[in-house]
Amino acid sequence: MRLNYIKTGLLMTAKELLRNRIALILFLLIPSLFNTLIVLTTKDRPITLHLASISEETFFKVSERSETLVFIALAAAGFIAAFLGLNLIQKHIGVDRRLVLCGYCPSELIIAKLTLLLFVILLIGGYGTSSLLFFFQPRHFFQVILGFILGGYIYGCYGLLVGAIFKRELEGILCIVLLGNIDVGWLQNPLYYSESQSKAIIRALPAFFPSQMTMVAAFTDHSVSQLFMGGIVYGGILLVTGLLIYWWRMKIKK
Amino acid sequence: MNNEYILEVRHISKSFGKHLVLKDITFQIRRGEIIGISGENGVGKSTLLKILSGFLPPTKGEFTAQGRIGFCPQELLIFETLTVKENFIYFATAYGLEQKKAAPSWERTKGELIEQFRFHCSEDTLASYLSGGTKQKLNLSLALLHSPDLFILDEPYSGFDWETYLHFWRYAEELKSRGKSFLVVSHFIHDHSKFDTIFQLKEGVLQCVSTI
Repeated sequence: MRLNYIKTGLLMTAKELLRNRIALILFLLIPSLFNTLIVLTTKDRPITLHLASISEETFFKVSERSETLVFIALAAAGFIAAFLGLNLIQKHIGVDRRLVLCGYCPSELIIAKLTLLLFVILLIGGYGTSSLLFFFQPRHFFQVILGFILGGYIYGCYGLLVGAIFKRELEGILCIVLLGNIDVGWLQNPLYYSESQSKAIIRALPAFFPSQMTMVAAFTDHSVSQLFMGGIVYGGILLVTGLLIYWWRMKIKK
Repeated sequence: MNNEYILEVRHISKSFGKHLVLKDITFQIRRGEIIGISGENGVGKSTLLKILSGFLPPTKGEFTAQGRIGFCPQELLIFETLTVKENFIYFATAYGLEQKKAAPSWERTKGELIEQFRFHCSEDTLASYLSGGTKQKLNLSLALLHSPDLFILDEPYSGFDWETYLHFWRYAEELKSRGKSFLVVSHFIHDHSKFDTIFQLKEGVLQCVSTI
């Protein structure tokens, strides 16, 4: 593992991302746009719901608007991270192979990409949580940030996995949009799953841990450490699987 | 391996599923030799070069190469959202040329390439803004950066204007005189005088059609 190789890889990948100005503007606009839509379409009335990670019998009274804001901000973080992960792996897989042929190790390239992805996820987490402060004060601000980061991490790893599996962009986008919509955009919302017939499926989806963590941290005083660890493991499995496939695709006979 | 040869290819075959693309390919390249391979579209020329550069494994057979290899693929494998200079730096790092010891020789080679392929005005231009021919020049230059001993070039001058084509061959001949070898694949090998040997790939079989 050579540090100067990773440094150059990171620098070049970051330059490429910074030159994609429309994507950068969308990164900033999407969370604000989602928040605005929620404020315009929801009421600040109290609703009763239960959180799957606490107990079926424990119900919480929260503001409909606040609950939806947290949920949608997490969805925005997940989508952005997933698309970035997909883009980082899939867009240059051919040129990356050429770099490997010329002397790069796949691990050096992947570390550069993961470092950039992590940096963007941290920014999204911080930005997403801070934007909530305009509308309400979460009970545990830093844990909510961690929840968003966890959501970005899991969906970023999912994006990497999808990018490693599919050669073409359309298949990758469809995989992210379809799973993202049904998972982080719908089923994980306590408003829906409170009445669901099969919660086991919901618990198995990628956004379960981060959505529970953000909800628990934003509205209750329960511990989130188990949820956090669960999310780290879940994302780790996606990451390792994605890296193995990427490694296999980068294979070069030297 | 015989020291006389920089590349020895022995009985290489390649199939994709049931489709046999390359059949028992055997040839050698000496130091300072320029070998051309021609053939119609889809006969497996690029597949052969991908095998020799390490991109693809052969189904059967083996090859041995001495020294460093510079491979220029047929498709443009460059970073479109990086400038010409940044592409050079990225690949120079890959070749290990950015370390201090190698820096003077890499700077010299980069200077030579900028001169030969007339990149002066486009060094700070994003690759996506370059014309098709200039992108191909960049694609080719990235294979030459580390002064390899054997150049494996797949359609290296597609999209070149006539003057750049002549520049390319002048540069190739200069490198040849320094003992460098070339394996050039193209479906247009009209100037036989540039090559020491020309092979034709037909129905997966390599046949020698011209030799000096």
